[in-house]
Amino acid sequence: MERDRKSGIIGVIVTIIILIILVVVTNTNSENASFIDGIANTIVVPIENGLTYLKNKISNNNNFFENIEQLKAENEQLKQENSELEQNLREYEVIKNENDQLKQQLNLSEKYAQYTTVPGTIISRDISNYSKTLVINIGSDNGIKENMTVIADEGLVGYVVSVTSNTAKIQTIVDSASATSCLTSSTRDNMICKGTVENSSTLRASNIATEANIIQGDSIETSGLGGIYIKGIHVGKIKKVEKGTNKTDSYAIIETAVDFDKLETVLVVTN
Amino acid sequence: MKKFIIYISLIISFVVIYLLQSTFFTNFTIAGVMPNIIVILVLYIGLYAGVSKGIIFGIMFGIFIDIWIGKNIGITSICLATVGILGGMFDKNFSKDSRITILLMVISCTIIYEVAMCILQYIILNTNIEILEFIKILFIEVVYNILITIILYPLMKITGYEVENEIKGDKILTRYF
Repeated sequence: MERDRKSGIIGVIVTIIILIILVVVTNTNSENASFIDGIANTIVVPIENGLTYLKNKISNNNNFFENIEQLKAENEQLKQENSELEQNLREYEVIKNENDQLKQQLNLSEKYAQYTTVPGTIISRDISNYSKTLVINIGSDNGIKENMTVIADEGLVGYVVSVTSNTAKIQTIVDSASATSCLTSSTRDNMICKGTVENSSTLRASNIATEANIIQGDSIETSGLGGIYIKGIHVGKIKKVEKGTNKTDSYAIIETAVDFDKLETVLVVTN
Repeated sequence: MKKFIIYISLIISFVVIYLLQSTFFTNFTIAGVMPNIIVILVLYIGLYAGVSKGIIFGIMFGIFIDIWIGKNIGITSICLATVGILGGMFDKNFSKDSRITILLMVISCTIIYEVAMCILQYIILNTNIEILEFIKILFIEVVYNILITIILYPLMKITGYEVENEIKGDKILTRYF
């Protein structure tokens, strides 16, 4: 009995460790190699440093005392120069931040000038792996109604499915039950973008006209058909065009402009 | 009185699991896939508290999830109620003392729940499902649920017998004697 309990506890601990390792390994995709590099470096570098120090000590021992005065003067000069440069750098950084901020504000107000929006924060995400609905912290008290378009800084997020007095449920465009009518910005070819189960940042565009000329990298925007989404909101870019066995079953993979995993605040368009 | 405390604690544990699932596990994923601990909770209720409690709690939890985050009221509650019924059936036919049988029950319940959800959503909402991707996600989810069950198993066993004694009382089958 005692042995059973002990082995049970060990089993639980081992499982927790395996779980954490699995989560860490699967979520840091390309950094694994640099992680191993880091371990190797922490072991090797101190030894190398020590060896180099010893070597320098032995070879440069004779001219160390000769240049000491000269070195001191040079040191003073360099220190002064360094402080000046640091000050310049600080000033430059302040200006750069200000510039970035102003640029962003200008861009945003230009982009969404014709819409009145209400900002909201995401308070809950879907608990299932196969659907991607969101809940935000504003509702009918803030003037939100069903079927309103929801956008973020980068582009389209989805639309409001239902509202209570102070929450609203959003169906995102990457949800597998969602279909958005879109067109390409340059050639104005119509297509229907459906959400996929595999990934939270790709859409699958189907119903593309047979004579349509679709190229990788084309920008996609909403077409306004269907009456829910406003016309002309940026959705994403074409990542890949898949030609099927015949002309009618070709489709395109679209990468959304919004990163739905890191989305925190959204704007609800109220007019 | 004690029964009442058990029911309240089951509801509290559902709320805690729901909050964990919607905040912590959305980031703590294996290759982007979350576990489904609510299935494990409903299976536990079905196993230790009986079929009727499994169905009632399954429908209750399901309706809450549907109202809060779902697209259509009823789909999740039907599937969770199915898991509750399965829990009761497993209780009648298998021993709960072995870790392996509990794991097999969790595996089968997770698969049945997700496949039922998928089919119902496909019929009602016309969702876009790629079968290969679905199977891949389901496999990782099952593995994640297995790991979580191994971690929670000691707790399930200790509290499970308390719950069973209190709720089923004299009705516990005497098949082992």
